[in-house]
Amino acid sequence: MNRKGEFLVENIVFIVLNILYLVILILFLLKQGSGAIILEDAYSKNIALLIDSAKPTMTIHLNLQDLKTVSDKNGISFSDVLKINGNYAIIKLSEKGGMKYHFFNYINVTAYPDKDPKYEGFYIMTFSKMK
Amino acid sequence: MIKKINTLKGINKKGDKLISVYWFAILVIVAIGIVLMVNTFYGENYDVRSQEAEILAQKVADCIYFGGEFNSLIVNPQGGFREDFNDNFLKMCNLNFTIEGGLERPPYYVEVGFFPDGDLKKSSFTMLDGNKNWKPDCSVGVSQRANLVTCKEKEFFAVTKSDSVYLIKILSIVGKIDENTN
Repeated sequence: MNRKGEFLVENIVFIVLNILYLVILILFLLKQGSGAIILEDAYSKNIALLIDSAKPTMTIHLNLQDLKTVSDKNGISFSDVLKINGNYAIIKLSEKGGMKYHFFNYINVTAYPDKDPKYEGFYIMTFSKMK
Repeated sequence: MIKKINTLKGINKKGDKLISVYWFAILVIVAIGIVLMVNTFYGENYDVRSQEAEILAQKVADCIYFGGEFNSLIVNPQGGFREDFNDNFLKMCNLNFTIEGGLERPPYYVEVGFFPDGDLKKSSFTMLDGNKNWKPDCSVGVSQRANLVTCKEKEFFAVTKSDSVYLIKILSIVGKIDENTN
């Protein structure tokens, strides 16, 4: 009887430890994919390409909810996450971080957070001809 | 019987300890493997220059020839090409290659050749702008291109109002090596 009891407890402990091990690995994988540096790099480049393809009078609605999650964690205001300065698209998700990428389109770009509560975490980008 | 049971119990315990050591080693090896794979994957730089060169070539193409017609600023009424378009090529096509506040050369290069009747021997008109020092890098073999510029070639046929056919070849080059490679 004791042997049966020990067998059950050992197996339960073994399964629980294995599940714990897998959970730790999965959490590590998820954390790596949502790192601030990776997001800054990817988004600054993608937004620069978006601006390169844009034409005057266009308006683009950008979903930056992933960035908002990270910027809120790092104490960065969402209105400071995306900035267009000169011909650079700049993404900043942490105090000492930030990534910028140059775009070649000669166009006037305005980017600001969407104030509509339904679109929290979205940015609006408007394009007009450069004067 | 009891002695035999006790002996069996003893053997099982030793076997379990041996197996748990191997099991622990396997878990460590798997964990190390996963960490290495993830770091290799996320450590790779995100290179968008291929798409960027494609967009640049397309933008130049649309500037020159759109909706089946040449840009009126390129071709004069007699059917010839206007030199002043070449001089203001970037401004006419709404392109800005300048890095503000820096002395570095532009990270782009564009060259457009107009070949009459598809004859590739000599172009009747050429427009170019940007950092032309990168052009030789486009002929380097693929295996050695790891830290070089990205080149894209685009070509299409265009017809003028006087029914002259031109093969237009656009070469677009994007540098930005530091931002896109390790």
